[in-house]
Amino acid sequence: MRLRFSLSRISFVVLMLLFAAFMLLPIVFIISHAFKPYDELFVYPPEFLVKHPTTQNFVELMQVTSNSLIPLSRYLFNSIVVSALTVVLSTIISAMCGYALAKHPFPGRQLVFSTIVLMLMFAPEVVQIPRYLVVSRLGLMNTYPGHILPLLALPVGVFLLKQFMEQIPNSLLEAARIDGATEFGLFLKIAVPVCMPAVATVAILAFQGSWSNLETSAYFMQDDDMKTFPFFLSTLTSNLANNVARQGAAAVATLIVLLPNLVFFILLQRKVIDTMAHSGIK
Amino acid sequence: MANIRIDHIYKRYGKDKHPVVKDFNLEIRDKEFIVFVGPSGCGKSTMLRMIAGLEDITEGEIYIDDQLVNHLPPKDRDISMVFQNYALYPNMSVFENIAFGLRMRKLPKYEIELAVKKASRILEIESYLHRKPRQLSGGQRQRVAIGRAIVRNPKLFLMDEPLSNLDAKLRVAMRMEIIKLHQSLETTFIYVTHDQVEAMTMADRIVVMKEGVIQQIDTPERIYTLPSNTFVASFIGSPQINLISGRIQENALGGLEFLTSRLRIAIHESNAELLRKHGQVNRQVLLGIRPENISLEALFSDAVVTGTYRFTELMGADRFIYLDIGQDQLLTARVSPSVRFEPGDKVRLGIDSLKMLFFHPDTGVRFAD
Ligand SMILES: Nc1ncnc2c1ncn2[C@@H]1O[C@H](COP(=O)(O)OP(=O)(O)OP(=O)(O)O)[C@@H](O)[C@H]1O
Ligand SMILES: [Mg+2]
Repeated sequence: MRLRFSLSRISFVVLMLLFAAFMLLPIVFIISHAFKPYDELFVYPPEFLVKHPTTQNFVELMQVTSNSLIPLSRYLFNSIVVSALTVVLSTIISAMCGYALAKHPFPGRQLVFSTIVLMLMFAPEVVQIPRYLVVSRLGLMNTYPGHILPLLALPVGVFLLKQFMEQIPNSLLEAARIDGATEFGLFLKIAVPVCMPAVATVAILAFQGSWSNLETSAYFMQDDDMKTFPFFLSTLTSNLANNVARQGAAAVATLIVLLPNLVFFILLQRKVIDTMAHSGIK
Repeated sequence: MANIRIDHIYKRYGKDKHPVVKDFNLEIRDKEFIVFVGPSGCGKSTMLRMIAGLEDITEGEIYIDDQLVNHLPPKDRDISMVFQNYALYPNMSVFENIAFGLRMRKLPKYEIELAVKKASRILEIESYLHRKPRQLSGGQRQRVAIGRAIVRNPKLFLMDEPLSNLDAKLRVAMRMEIIKLHQSLETTFIYVTHDQVEAMTMADRIVVMKEGVIQQIDTPERIYTLPSNTFVASFIGSPQINLISGRIQENALGGLEFLTSRLRIAIHESNAELLRKHGQVNRQVLLGIRPENISLEALFSDAVVTGTYRFTELMGADRFIYLDIGQDQLLTARVSPSVRFEPGDKVRLGIDSLKMLFFHPDTGVRFAD
């Protein structure tokens, strides 16, 4: 009995490991690709793993960027400011909105929520022109708010947090209310900590959305010194489809854009795994 | 320390015409232990939550210490509440859970520390102050919830079925602790339960409710011995009181007797007077008699019933026997556990006719002095 149990357990773990390895493939490929020398980059059929790792691609990227007028650090700075503000603000907004929708019945609540869910279905391209009009009419072209504002509304985040906060038993909030907490205290001291896993998930989604976003730089920023790092990298390596030059730099650029996502995820990972495992608060 | 006055309270949810609490009137004295009891959905929690300020009052007024609190938020009412599902903050340690209310009131740190230590000593939860609620058993969680309530020294404790998630043994133990707590804290308690045993053992006065309407407010003894109607009579007491419908008639000696197709029970003078006063002679009534007031020895030779033995329930110290007394009615009687009968046996039982209660057959109201 015991043996059978452990056998099934082992096979389960092996299966899961295989599955995990499969999911890892793209990341492994991107990393190994960045270290491939030119001959390996173009070998046909493509090799998955690098055979003779080299840092030559990194050097190439450095050379390319050092030729640009604006220093690399400026793009990096822009990216960090924009992403940090977007993550913080859109997480706060999503949490507040989710809390209000979940725990404060007000007339029209259902309509508001349905509208938000409906927005989940729009492709980004659809809102391109309205966004452009909003940003330009507000005079936010070439400013940080022009980067941030379009990304603040995060329907997925609102949806996720609303669902999570609905699970908070009302008696928990009532107990805190009797204990003397203010409305904002309830939100900050009870609702947010109890839903921390979901909040972390939303933060990751917000980061991914803003870090790799090229659109705001492309459409709303005419000044080069307001553009972001991933955008800059993408301009370096665009139009390379049939081009041999700079393929190495492109491989490295891809890696660099990916890395912060990876780091951010790993930092908040524990919380997110909680989200998946634990759907209710009992 | 608080007197509470509840004045003509009504509660309606939304546009619902039908109130869930109807014309609720109650004066609670300082240090009293009041229990709201009634079947599920009768509005006990709703009433408690209105006192707490968690629910709007549709109509009527609530005063705590002569202050009108209708529009006072819960935190300004100086009350604390224990919830059925404990409602501990899952993200905080036991210490923080208990300290939360004090922190919200911006007490100095050493005072918080002192108060939490004191409360946790009373409830014997000192050894797991650092744990998170999910690492506690149900009973321990309930203690923490009570600790959170007592640490602020409120004027008034509200408890909504605090013991109903505990197993039977723990419930009895916690019941005792809450009684002790009430004695040592000398604070007004309002306790909601649907468990009649809790109500009987804990209350100074019991408020029996049904469908949002108070049926009776009285001490446990009087609720038990002098229920105001058949609902209260059957709700309190286990096994239930026997209710037998029959007629009141005058007998040859000028006394009254209670008559069904198979029974003839003489009515004691004290009751006879009452029934005459209410003009119930030659009328249908309901006779109520508790199982423990029926026994194998006849106290009064003319208050005797005979029935066919059907089955029995042994409850440790007591045995309850069920007799068929005709007209599809079962009569429950408490006898000594050593007594044995065979199904079908004819059994003769004596009724303590001083303990007979009479109710109006339609309204169920007891005929009282
Ligand atoms: N938010 C609400 N909206 C509408 N009706 C409600 C609401 N809350 C309670 N009710 C109704 O009010 C009535 C009384 O509910 P309440 O919770 O006070 O009952 P209770 O006596 O505490 O019962 P229980 O012993 O099951 O806890 C019930 O019929 C219930 O359906
Ligand atoms: Mg209830």
